[in-house]
Amino acid sequence: MIELSSSFIAMAYVMVVAITVGAVAALLQKDLLRAAFISGAESIALAFFFQALLAPDLGLTQAIVGTVLLPGIIILGIFKTRRTEED
Amino acid sequence: MSAYPSNLWSIPLLVVIPILVAVVVNLVYNRVRLIKVISILSAVCLALIALFSSYGYHWFTGLPALRPETLTFTFDPSFPAWRLALEFYFGPLQQVMIFVMSLILIFVVAVASGGLTKRQGPYMGMIFLLFASAVIIIMVNDLYHLWIAVEIGSLVVAGVVVGSGTSVSHKAALKYTFFSALSGAGLAIALALILGLTGYSNISDAIRYLQSVNLGDMSIILYVAFAFFVLSWIYAGGLAPIHPLKSEVYGASFPHGTAMLQTQSKLMLVAIGIVMLRIFGTLPFVREVMLAISVITMMLGVVMALIQTDFRWILAYLIISHSGLVTVGISLGTTEGLVGGIFQAVNDVIYMTVLLLCCEALYYFGGKTSTRNSLGLAKKAPWLGMAVILGTMAASGIPPFNGFQSELILIQAALKVGLPEVAAVILMVSVTTFIALFRAVYRLFLKPPETSETVTEVKVPRALYIGLWFFVAMTLIIGVYPTIVVSFITPVAQAVSIPWYL
Amino acid sequence: MIEVTIQLLGFIAAAALVVIGIAGMLFLDNLIKKIISFTLLSDGVNLLLVALGYVEGGVVPILIPGMSVSEFATRAALVFPVGIVLTNIVIGVSTTAILVALAIMLYRRYGTLKASKVLKGERR
Repeated sequence: MIELSSSFIAMAYVMVVAITVGAVAALLQKDLLRAAFISGAESIALAFFFQALLAPDLGLTQAIVGTVLLPGIIILGIFKTRRTEED
Repeated sequence: MSAYPSNLWSIPLLVVIPILVAVVVNLVYNRVRLIKVISILSAVCLALIALFSSYGYHWFTGLPALRPETLTFTFDPSFPAWRLALEFYFGPLQQVMIFVMSLILIFVVAVASGGLTKRQGPYMGMIFLLFASAVIIIMVNDLYHLWIAVEIGSLVVAGVVVGSGTSVSHKAALKYTFFSALSGAGLAIALALILGLTGYSNISDAIRYLQSVNLGDMSIILYVAFAFFVLSWIYAGGLAPIHPLKSEVYGASFPHGTAMLQTQSKLMLVAIGIVMLRIFGTLPFVREVMLAISVITMMLGVVMALIQTDFRWILAYLIISHSGLVTVGISLGTTEGLVGGIFQAVNDVIYMTVLLLCCEALYYFGGKTSTRNSLGLAKKAPWLGMAVILGTMAASGIPPFNGFQSELILIQAALKVGLPEVAAVILMVSVTTFIALFRAVYRLFLKPPETSETVTEVKVPRALYIGLWFFVAMTLIIGVYPTIVVSFITPVAQAVSIPWYL
Repeated sequence: MIEVTIQLLGFIAAAALVVIGIAGMLFLDNLIKKIISFTLLSDGVNLLLVALGYVEGGVVPILIPGMSVSEFATRAALVFPVGIVLTNIVIGVSTTAILVALAIMLYRRYGTLKASKVLKGERR
């Protein structure tokens, strides 16, 4: 049990960095499609974090919703409008 | 025990019927007659349920308390025990508010099926979901359902506004949805903070916990939670900093949609305001902050109403400023203040509905609502002209209409706690309301038209006139016999009131 | 020196996400970017709630055979925040869908996604 939680905390450190960097990187992209994909990657990191925080069911939900459904909706919007951000 | 029947039958019905109707009218989509029959019948049903239901609770989960002397379980709320429940309560205040709202729903639905909008089914479904969310917010006694209902309500408001289908309304809906996304997240954070501080999501349990322990340094967390609550409060009513957003929402939707939106928003203001008063009311500076927001809202709204040149926008800003009247009473927190504030909310939704239905009638006379053109409608439609003048008098607090009674109680409450400034602002609001409204009414209805147009046959739906005179009669009846509403409000006001300056 | 636990890391990440989300919603000019910021904000709120329910040295709240009820009651992570978060995920998806739909409608009308142009005040 001890080694399990210590491996979780190592994972949590990585995930904090991944989430923060992913969020900032998503918002800095000029290409909106890439921004949507990066926000999906950030969602995967969040799903692993939920796993570490003892909520594996939420991790599964977040993995599906955050990587497929939400970016899907946003990508649909991008295809109906325009792909790059105008100045 | 008989006074508090557990799991009352009417509470689930009040929530489930509107949701079911929303689903059904969505399915039948565009068969106007069927939609009209279904929605009017179910709205009448809701009014009857609210009128005849007994008072009581509905629990979703939680523990009944054990009476040690008889070893029986009880949900009696006066019995001191943690109940840990997600809880709905239907009492006198809920009864009067839901009854008035469902009366408005009946006529809004009847007018909405008159055919201003295409896609009848989804639009009607949105109106019913709006009703459902407001009912939940009024009855709820736990933070979880409060937050869910606020979120649902915000999405549905966007839907109703989009239903009127102009680019202005799309814009207003987008802006409002962005802000509601922010404030909904804020309310979720407030819920998380209170849950983390106390461990209870039931509001009564959380308050009892907060009273029983000394928080010390942790009370700063309560202030943060209060800040997020204020965010969702000003979002719900369109109070001071975001009054341009909310007035755009009111002005951009159809007038009958606005009637439902303003009803939902004012009753939400009352419900969330009472929750805030119960949780945070004893902290220092809390009620001062709420009072300041209310006074600024009243003044800004009424000043903005004076400079508008369109009847719809005048009404939109007046609704905002009268929301300020409601919140002044609640943020005073005394018994008289609470009675005045809640009574004002009930009166306000009634007389504003009269004015909004008159505005809706203008759509059938050519659709010009700008006060620049004088239509001389009082000659073409004398009954309409009379109704709009009566509505104006009710809105500006002239006896014997209902607005006078509640504003009188509010002014007395403000004077009693030693704030004559607030009383002066309330008086100013009522006078300025009269000026702003009467200017528009004179130009649109009374002034003879400059160009003599050929008189065309105009067909205003009968439901609109029936609703108009029904609500005018209600303003008069409540104005002459205010006790029929006040007697419902007073026990609640006495229960939650806190003396000003402890 | 505060001991670093997973819960504390969760609060830190949640605070970062909330701040980034709110800043993006307020200061970015592109409608789609604003919508992505909203999803980040709602992720942050979810993370705050889940971290709230974490119990140090606890177990996943599933009653495994062989575990006594009292041990379960003291060690299991809280489940109520999980219920709230599930609701919040659903609400986040529906809000995003509505926002994207409105953004598409306004793009068809104005031909741009810049919030400063699309949302400029204009009466009828």
